Order: sequence, then structure tokens, then C-alpha cells
Amino acid sequence: MNMLVVGCSHHVADAAIRERVAFAPDQVSVFLDTYYQKYPNTEAVLLSTCNRTEVYVMSDQTDSVPSRRDLVELLSSRPGIATEDLDNALYDHRGSEAVSHLFSVSSSLDSMVVGESQIISQVKQAYETATNALAKSPLIHRTFDAAIRVAKRVSTETKIHQNPVSVPSVAINVLARRIFERFDNKQILVLGAGEMATETLTYLKAAGAKKLTVANRTHERAVSLAEQFGGQTAPWSELQDQLAIADLVVSTTGAKQPIVDHNDFESIMKQRGQKMLFVLDLAIPRDFDQRIGKAFDNVVLYSLDDLQRECERNMDSRKGQWPKARRIVKDETDRFFRDSRRRASGSTIAQLKQQANSIKDEELERLLNRLDSVSDLDRQQIEKSFHRLTNKLLHPPLESVREESATDDGDPSSVGLLEAMRRLFKLD
Amino acid sequence: MNWLTRISITCFAASYLVVLVVDLLRVWMPKSAIRSTIKMVFCFAGFFAHTVFLAYHTNLSLDQSGLWLGSWFGWALAGAWLLMLAQLWLIFKKSNSNIGLFLLPIVLGLIGWGTLIGSETLFTADREKTIWSAVHGISLLMGTVVVALGFVFGIMYLVHLKRLKSKSVSASGQFRLPSLEWLQLNTERSLLVSAGFLSLGLISGIALNLTRTSDGIVIPWLHPVIWTSAALFGWLVFACLGSKFYQPARNGRKVAVLVLFSFLFLVIELGIAWSFGHGTGVSQ
Repeated sequence: MNMLVVGCSHHVADAAIRERVAFAPDQVSVFLDTYYQKYPNTEAVLLSTCNRTEVYVMSDQTDSVPSRRDLVELLSSRPGIATEDLDNALYDHRGSEAVSHLFSVSSSLDSMVVGESQIISQVKQAYETATNALAKSPLIHRTFDAAIRVAKRVSTETKIHQNPVSVPSVAINVLARRIFERFDNKQILVLGAGEMATETLTYLKAAGAKKLTVANRTHERAVSLAEQFGGQTAPWSELQDQLAIADLVVSTTGAKQPIVDHNDFESIMKQRGQKMLFVLDLAIPRDFDQRIGKAFDNVVLYSLDDLQRECERNMDSRKGQWPKARRIVKDETDRFFRDSRRRASGSTIAQLKQQANSIKDEELERLLNRLDSVSDLDRQQIEKSFHRLTNKLLHPPLESVREESATDDGDPSSVGLLEAMRRLFKLD
Repeated sequence: MNWLTRISITCFAASYLVVLVVDLLRVWMPKSAIRSTIKMVFCFAGFFAHTVFLAYHTNLSLDQSGLWLGSWFGWALAGAWLLMLAQLWLIFKKSNSNIGLFLLPIVLGLIGWGTLIGSETLFTADREKTIWSAVHGISLLMGTVVVALGFVFGIMYLVHLKRLKSKSVSASGQFRLPSLEWLQLNTERSLLVSAGFLSLGLISGIALNLTRTSDGIVIPWLHPVIWTSAALFGWLVFACLGSKFYQPARNGRKVAVLVLFSFLFLVIELGIAWSFGHGTGVSQ
């Protein structure tokens, strides 16, 4: 099987280029239709996420997949992308490297955040779109089924997915869960309406939070964010009152000075009646006076630095799983090509046997027609002789082909014995 | 059923000790299927042996017209059994937490104490006193178990809060505890429930004392056992009311401290009751 992948990712291209190359979901099918008009005898998958755009093309025929140049031209056929610019930003992998790359991508070893779980659903989506675009796509099925299997193996046999590594996910899924048993009855106050607030709200919502209040100096942005997550807003002037009733505060403002100092907090604590408060100060500079966490028993205050340390610990823990995950990818790549070779060799061997038997039958018939009065016993002996001769002639080359297909040595896409046999015996 | 007689205290105490060691090993083996399996197997095996031991000896003592469970020895083993029942429930409820590290030492302590004092003396099996004795014994047993559970929750709360405040809680951490909210809720509940059981124990004790029998055994009202029981009851009522209505005492840390003191008072109370031979019919 020949396979080529051409694409760009966060490893080689900045966001500006990735944005221009990226495909919206409805554009993927259009791209594949255009592709099949040009290269109907191949199979293709387009994987496009915010961090990568890759085209995987594959074929059973040698030298029949489009070249890198062809794919670059196809990708740059949309307005706003110059072929030369794109060519410089793209990488390509062939054969076993392409398969290994796909397996690394699906198991999130190539992701910006190693171990993130979103990529496998994006790979599945790309696979589904590709098989919808081409009814008969055995190579895509074989390759992408294997990619999904590898992702599952990496997920279950390593701990690469276990510990969250983004600040909001650590804040909610690790720390907040150590304090609160449930979130649906907790009053949650989010200060600020930027990217960090949005991401934290996503995790809070997933954890079951219902009573969400957003407060921001620019009230319109608070309204927009609250609507997005089904929460309510509070005017900035009511900050103290909101702090007095909150169970969890997520502070993400861009204020240059702390918005809550130690003295403010004393009066807030009096109103709270000893209720536990968890403050996630995700702002730089910090929004909460750090003395608050030490001065009050029932206040647990974590700053961005505290969370960052936890993220780094988790990232180190994931990195520790990297060699094991890479070994799984290598094992599975070898297995994939071993299976492919076995499949291909089985088909070639069957063809060769069929061809040899056909010649044998023809020659046998010709010989028997020339001979007069051959007894049944002699006829059987002659037939057996022809049969043994054919088998003995075929045995050594077929055994060599079988042996080659069972090994992991050599580049699986290179011309081996199987290909040589096809050419020598002119098999289809 | 000869095998029943072969089940000894060592069987289940050793099993619980293995569970405790395995829980400690979690520090070095945070995710290990083998460790979890060993823990479950020994937990259930120990509990089964413990149950059989209690049932067999209770049955035996009934045949001999005695009340083995009413002895300090039986009482301590029954308390340990109830705590193990709670431990099993918590294993399923909070499977990812190291609760055993806190609970099992108390279970083993109770078994050790029971073994140390032996089972020679029995509660008097007076027919008139039977109901009040049963209520008195069972409610004090339940109260003790719940105070011990509250003590465990309180200790865990304080440890967990300290770790959170010192920012040493980690996702990959080997030492895990239930959430602060869960610990605080259960500490408060145990305070209330234990106060209920111990007040019932005190009331039934008074009723028992008022029931004069032919042998005329009555504990004087100023006996240390009575006034320390009343003091413990008073403390629990104070702690319950304080944690419910007095705002500064509603702080989770303070509730945990109240429960720790309750446990301390209970230990003193049990020590006094035992040293005076309370309930054995030989104290007065």
C-alpha cells in the first residue's frame, strides 16, 4: 500500500497560516469531491482541526498516489493561499512514516497538549466524511480503523490522558473537586469575561454547575458570556455582595491592581457566616490579595502560579508515559504493514498458483491429446507428475514471499519480492 | 462445623492489618490493580471471619445463658465489626480515597483493647433488666461507633484542609481523601447522630439504675461513671447546638475540632466505665 500525507500543524506553522489552510466541515466534502475528480483511483482523507490540516492519500497501486506538488496545488486552489507560501509551511510523510504519523496524531502524541482527548473524535469525523465521499474505500477503512485502535491502546495502556494539563481543567477537575462534592447547588462567581473565563466556564458547566454569575467591568461582555453558558450577570458595583454569597470564585480580570484586598475581605467574611469559599485567581497580576488565603480558615485561595505548578507536574507525568506510547505506535505500525503484506502476498500467491495451474492444465491436455491409448492409471500418474512439478517449482519462491511478508524488516512500501514476483510473472 | 471454632481473632485482625499495610503502600503504588484486589480480598475475608466469630460466640454464650456480646470484650469486637461495615461501605462509596488509613487503626485498637481485657465478666442477665440493658448497651455501642467515625472524618477534614491550604494537593497524588464538603457534612452528621445514641444510652442507663433488682445493684448517682456520662452527653449537646446555631462554630475546622474532643471525652468515659467494672455486675 502506498500512502502519502501532506499537511501543516502547530509544529511547523503559526496560527495565521493554519487559519488560512483550515477547512470548515462543509468545505471538507467539497475538497474531497474535487480531489476524486482528479485522482479517481486513489483514496483520500482530509483532517482539519484548529491545530492541523492534513491530507492523507493512499492507493494499492505503486506510484499511483498524487505527488506532494499535486496536493499542494490542490490545497492552495482556494483564494487567499499562494502555492509557494503553502509549500514552505507543509510537511510530508510517506509509507510507514505516514502511517506512523497518523497513529501518533490519533493517539494525541502529536497534539499541542499531549494526551488531549478531542483529537480522536476529530479523526473519527474526518474518517466518516471520507467514507461518505467515496463509497468503496477499503484502504481508508483499514488505515483509520487501525488508527482508532492505536488511540484506544495508548489511552488504556498508558496514563497519558490521566492528569489534566490546562490551568482551567486542573482548577476545576482537580482542585474544585477536592473541595466540593457537587457543583449544581454551588453559587459560582466568574470575574472577567475573557478567554480564561470562557474556558473555565466550559469545565464548570461540564462538572454540572448551574448557578453561574458573571461580573465584568464591561457589562456587555459579561452578558454575552453569561448567555453562552446559561448564567446570569451582576453589575461590577455589587462585587462585595456577590463575594458574600459565592461558594466558588473564578477571577480572570485584566486589572492592574488587586480587586479584593485583605481589609475588604474581612467584612465579606462576616457576611458569609463561616461558609467555605474557594477562590481561583487566574489573573496576572493577581486579583486577590494573597494574605486572604492565609488569614481565613474557610478560604482556599489558589493563584495561577499554584495551578501552573500542578499543570507542569501533570505534563511531566504525561511525558513519562511518552516512550511507552511511542512503543505502542511503533508496534502497531509494524503490525499494520505486516497485515498489509500478508494480505497482498496472499492475493499474489493465489494469482500465481492459479496462473501456474492454468498453464499446467493446458499442457497436460495438449500432451494427453497427442498420446494414444493412455490407460487410466497412466493418466493419473501423468497428472500427479505435472502437479508435483508445478508445486515444486513454485514452492521456493512462494516460501520466500511468505517469509518476507511475515517479517518487519525493510521499508514496506519499497519494491520487494512480492512486487518482483508480480513483475516477473506479469500478474495483475 | 468444626471450622467455626478455628476462626480466631488473629484471623480477622491480621486481615485488617494487611488492608492497612496495602493502603499505606498506595503512597508508592498509586494505581495498581493488584494492590486494589489484595485490599478487597483481605477486607472481605477479614470481615467474613469477624462476622462468623461474633455469631459463633454469641450463639455459644446464649446456650450458656450468658450474654457474651454484653461483655467488654464482645462489645469492643462488635464495635470493631460495625466500624469495618462502615469501612466496606466507604470503600464502595469513596473508592478513590485512603479512608482505611484513618479508620483501620481504630478498628485494630478496639480489637486489641477487647483482647487485652478478656471476656471473663458478663453483664448480668437479669430478666427485668434485659430490655433496658439491651437498649443501654446497643445505644452506647452505636454512639461510640458514630463518634469514632466522626473522629475519623474530623481528622481527615483537618488533614485535607491543611494540604489544600499548603497547596500540596495534586491530581497525581497518591494520598487521596474525600472532598472537604463531604467530610464536613459527615462530621456534622456524626456529631448529631452520636449525640442521639449517647443520650438514649444515658436515658436507658438511668432507667436501668432505677429498676431495682433482687440483688439490689444500683449505681450511686454521684458515681464517676454517671457524671462522666452526663458530662459527655452535655458536651455533645453543646457541640451540636454550637455547630448548628453559633456562627463562629460553623466553621468546618471548628466542627472537626469539636468532634475530636468528643472522641477524647468518649475514650475517657469508656476508660472510667471499664476501670470501675461498669456493666459487669461487679463494680459496686
